[in-house]
Amino acid sequence: MTSAADPVIKATMLAKTFGATRALDGLDLNVAAGEVHGFLGPNGAGKSTTLRVLLGLIRPTSGVVRVFGLDPWRDPVNVHRDVAYVPGDVSLWPNLTGGEVIDLLTGLRGGADERLRRTLIEDFDFDPKRKARAYSKGNRQKAALIAAFARPARLYLLDEPSAGLDPVMDTVFRSQIRRVRDDGATVLLSSHILSEVEQLCDRVTIIRSGRAVETGSLAELRHLRRTHFRVEGGADPVRLAAIPGVQGVRANGTAVEFDADAADLAPVLAAVAAGGVSGLTVSPPSLESLFLRHYSDRNGQAR
Amino acid sequence: MPGVVRLALAQARRDRVLLPVWILGIALLGFVTATAVATEFDAESERAAIIGVAAVSPAFLFLRGLPDGTGIGAVVFFQGYAFTAVLAGLMSTFLVIRHTRADEELGREEIIGSLPVPRAAPLAATLLLGAAANLVLAASVAAGFAASGLPGTGAVTAGGAVGAVGVFFVAVAAAVAQVMPSGRSANGAAAGLVGAAYLLRGIGDAFGSPSADLTQVTSGWASLFSPIGWGQRSRPFSDADPVPLLVLTGAAAVVAVAVLVVRSRRDLGGSLLPERAGRERAGAGGTSFLGLAWRLQLPTLIGWCVGAAVLGALAGGLGPVVTDAVVGNESLKELIGRLVPGSRAEIIDVFTAALLGIAGVFAAAAGVQAVLRLRAEEVEGRAELLLAVPRSRARWLGANLVLAAASVTVVAAVAGTAAAVGLSLSGTGNPPGALLIGAALAHVPAAAVFLSATAVVFAAAPRLCIPVGWGLLAGGLILGQFGELLRLPSWVQDLSPFRHSAAMPVEPFDPAAALALTAVALLGAGIAVYLIRRRDLAA
Repeated sequence: MTSAADPVIKATMLAKTFGATRALDGLDLNVAAGEVHGFLGPNGAGKSTTLRVLLGLIRPTSGVVRVFGLDPWRDPVNVHRDVAYVPGDVSLWPNLTGGEVIDLLTGLRGGADERLRRTLIEDFDFDPKRKARAYSKGNRQKAALIAAFARPARLYLLDEPSAGLDPVMDTVFRSQIRRVRDDGATVLLSSHILSEVEQLCDRVTIIRSGRAVETGSLAELRHLRRTHFRVEGGADPVRLAAIPGVQGVRANGTAVEFDADAADLAPVLAAVAAGGVSGLTVSPPSLESLFLRHYSDRNGQAR
Repeated sequence: MPGVVRLALAQARRDRVLLPVWILGIALLGFVTATAVATEFDAESERAAIIGVAAVSPAFLFLRGLPDGTGIGAVVFFQGYAFTAVLAGLMSTFLVIRHTRADEELGREEIIGSLPVPRAAPLAATLLLGAAANLVLAASVAAGFAASGLPGTGAVTAGGAVGAVGVFFVAVAAAVAQVMPSGRSANGAAAGLVGAAYLLRGIGDAFGSPSADLTQVTSGWASLFSPIGWGQRSRPFSDADPVPLLVLTGAAAVVAVAVLVVRSRRDLGGSLLPERAGRERAGAGGTSFLGLAWRLQLPTLIGWCVGAAVLGALAGGLGPVVTDAVVGNESLKELIGRLVPGSRAEIIDVFTAALLGIAGVFAAAAGVQAVLRLRAEEVEGRAELLLAVPRSRARWLGANLVLAAASVTVVAAVAGTAAAVGLSLSGTGNPPGALLIGAALAHVPAAAVFLSATAVVFAAAPRLCIPVGWGLLAGGLILGQFGELLRLPSWVQDLSPFRHSAAMPVEPFDPAAALALTAVALLGAGIAVYLIRRRDLAA
């Protein structure tokens, strides 16, 4: 049905309107087999709507979407056969225990791998005997994650999955992502937690107002990012501002702050050294800056 | 105290559509009943006739209440009070649980609890809102009665009788909210207590003793245990007496104070009936749509079955009382024969047919509730989690429709069986028990039409399905209970599916109508299953 070269997820010019709101506005998304794909965006950017379209829970107003080469709206059952899903806001049946919820969800997918189920419950330190009504947000999240990971799938759709987890549980979650990736599965991980995406993902798509504004591997996106300099001493703001790739120069008392393209730092360092340096702070490139660039004003001023 | 008022205003704002609908609906029902009685039974002799029949017929006494004279107001009160009081009770219990235990379960009370107000302040605010709502209800009912031309004192007392029952159930529901661990269970328990109040009053009234001229009945002791019975004792249109209403309000105040004390001493989220740990693994049926539907529906189904069993047992068990009342009174027998459809019917048959008709409405309600649960699953986000599995939405809906239809059948069968058992225990061999079970089951096709109509609305216009689902059922109930009285055109009355199912044992079973109703129900189910694939799942 699908060869290895075909993307697992392929969405083209996807649009979805709810009344007057355009939740998705021409979104393109391609996720190749075997990759862990980060899906970054702020609240309300359309991440959850996209995942629901991918599952065929809602129908796109226009555009084409294929998951495993199938249209999820027309053929949800066959798409779901190989999908594990964790929604962003996990709501469980209040009178069922966590264990029963896990059995229900894995059972409907064809049954859990018992060994996996046991290990996951242990690793996530989850009490399966309590009624779901008594679970905290983090515990509901764990129940959905255990249900998702306790049966192998070809595609994992995870909507801000670690939002309710503490750092220890977050580590368990990351190790599960690595495990399923090593098994050859594809993961689409929506998040606004940048460090999570940076540590886990091979490729990233950044979505804003229902549209993909950037997509590529982390290495590719690194070119877009800027290193932040804070120089104390006699650096000359005018000379710095004249160097190509330097932006946002501002004098701040005895210090000068600016951003420089990470690709071409040699002239910057020369100019800094020429002015004399009594203190130097260089913030390493992080996804944070990339992220802020896309959500700050459009004139390119990152900060 | 200012905090309490502020909270009460915030709660009132949340209910700004729901409460006016309840209040105006109840007042309108009273107004329409009063107008209908005034035009329909214009002559005193006609009213004396119907009251005379009712006074010696436990079926009437049980369903409607106590005759209290032959004035127009008295007949209106007799016809409509008990039903109206039940509605006031339900309005009050739903109001209280919505703002107390349900909010607590959903974590909303936690954020209020962080404010500088006493622990019991939200509860006090709800009690205040409930009292105010019932005051407005009492005034509206009184205004409706006065507008239809009934005497002022009587109208005000009658309105007060409805409002006092409502106030009492505000306090009762607040107590239930301290006992039950979840909003759903608290709603079920509180509504069950409203039903019990109606039944206790019915039993007391059915065993009441008529006066010599058959214009009044003094109720039996059982109705003393029912707030609805107490409200009825105010006798608005004969000898208006506010004392029973003051007793009700005073009892409500005592309960309310006790509940406030309990609330200010208990933990947030704590309850008298605690949540226990459950099973670690799902049972055999726990991994299918049908199994899940069964798990979710079971507690409610048990509640409906208990209600149906009580109703059925009364239908059977009160049989001898009914027969005794008429034995040796040929002229009365003849009168009843003229007034009741199915002229040659035995009194006992009329009684059981009426009660089993109500059991049919119970069965339909159980089915509609099972279908509407799907909407809650969708809105609360569980359907999203569930429907990401490789099973089609049609199967999800189908499994729930199968369970809803099974619920309808089970509730009806329980009512019929209880009626048969009650009848055999009471020593009356006629009508035969098997016939009663059949009579209860005869309503299943009509009840199934309601649940399939609800399913179609759920599939096509999900936002409307809860009001439309319950609205259709309420419409069917009102057409059945008041359609004849209001002299509605027959095509309007024919809109209710219940009109088309045979009222056994008075009428013979009508296989053609049953088949037609079943066909309509199946067609609706098919349309719903077809349409559910075509819409977005609400997020």
